[in-house]
Amino acid sequence: MKSSGPPTRADFHEAISTRSGNWYAACLKITRNEALAEDALQDALLNAWHKRKQFKGDARLDTWIHRIAVNSALQVLRRNRNGVFEPLESDIADATRTPESAQHAYDMHAELTAALSGLSELERVCFVLKHFEEWRLKEIAGELGTGVDTIKQALVRGVRKMRLTVRSLKSA
Amino acid sequence: MTISDDTLTLYFYTDGLSRRERQEVAAALQTDRALGARYAALSAELQQLTDAPAVDAPADLVQRLHDCVDRLAELPAAAPDAARFNVSSFFWGAALAATLAIGIFIGITVTRETPDLVVPRMAEVPAPMPPTTSPFVRGLRVHLQNSERGLSGLPPGDAERALLLMNIIEQNRLFERAAVQNDADNLARVLRAFELVLARLAAGDLDAEETDALRNKLLFELNVVLTKLSAPPSTDSQTI
Repeated sequence: MKSSGPPTRADFHEAISTRSGNWYAACLKITRNEALAEDALQDALLNAWHKRKQFKGDARLDTWIHRIAVNSALQVLRRNRNGVFEPLESDIADATRTPESAQHAYDMHAELTAALSGLSELERVCFVLKHFEEWRLKEIAGELGTGVDTIKQALVRGVRKMRLTVRSLKSA
Repeated sequence: MTISDDTLTLYFYTDGLSRRERQEVAAALQTDRALGARYAALSAELQQLTDAPAVDAPADLVQRLHDCVDRLAELPAAAPDAARFNVSSFFWGAALAATLAIGIFIGITVTRETPDLVVPRMAEVPAPMPPTTSPFVRGLRVHLQNSERGLSGLPPGDAERALLLMNIIEQNRLFERAAVQNDADNLARVLRAFELVLARLAAGDLDAEETDALRNKLLFELNVVLTKLSAPPSTDSQTI
């Protein structure tokens, strides 16, 4: 990656070839829906292209696009919910989930996917942004339009659920 | 002091606790073996999740991303220019489009109300102008109708929307060139004005309200031109 000037078409192609899996994985963890993750990633790439002149040469293009992709996935979630993330009281886990479907998820996909699928949306988003994307709690709170304490609660609750799920899947 | 797993979780994530709370947990971990074992188990389980195998992006998605970059990169110079033009130039463009549209509208009205009038002012197109039955006009009508349909049902995704708008821009540009070749300068100017607005919509930096306002404006203008194209040809003059 050259250090001066906006990234070129070739730079974008290289980033896509080497890192699109990571971008997609991040979007998938947040949206938990393949179609939404794809939408988010396409939006992110378009956005990155339009804003490529804002890209600072001292950063890595793929890291920059990764951050845009994560934001894009959050936007896709918001769009699907017609607004911001709802408060914890109404933030419930996927009620359609059964032990059988959990086992199926475990068999068909990675353990992580199975564990994430047992979380509510807010818990999942908080966990992914904190654990995988390494955002600061304040950043997450700002992005989700809520307080740090709410984020902490969602995070610890998410971790609690994930640990239980993983343990039960392992012992099944 | 009892330290819960939730507190250990917040300890694991470095900014989850205040400095004082962190020091308390750290001190407890030094002296309490059972707590140390609980924290080690929690850390291991969380680390295990981090080490989960990566997901591959679907091959067709990766291809679409490459194609998307190619399309964006191959957009002729006018689109990036339009995407970065400043507010004042945007308003000039919009004003030009509005003026032309109003002029066309007046032209239609005047023509209908006073059939003997030779030519509506703004919509006047110097001869030679393709007759309304020409392939050019028929193609233009189809292009405008397709554009109208596309704009009416703009997809919600930014990427899809931009690709659709880019396609409309590309088509629009073909008809603009054809208009120039047919000496239909007014029509070419109208199509150029359309392109400015289309490029502005494709840039994706407007909020929902601005996008709707701009789209409605463009739809109105498209409709005006379509109406004009559908009007019976004047025997006295040729207009768009």
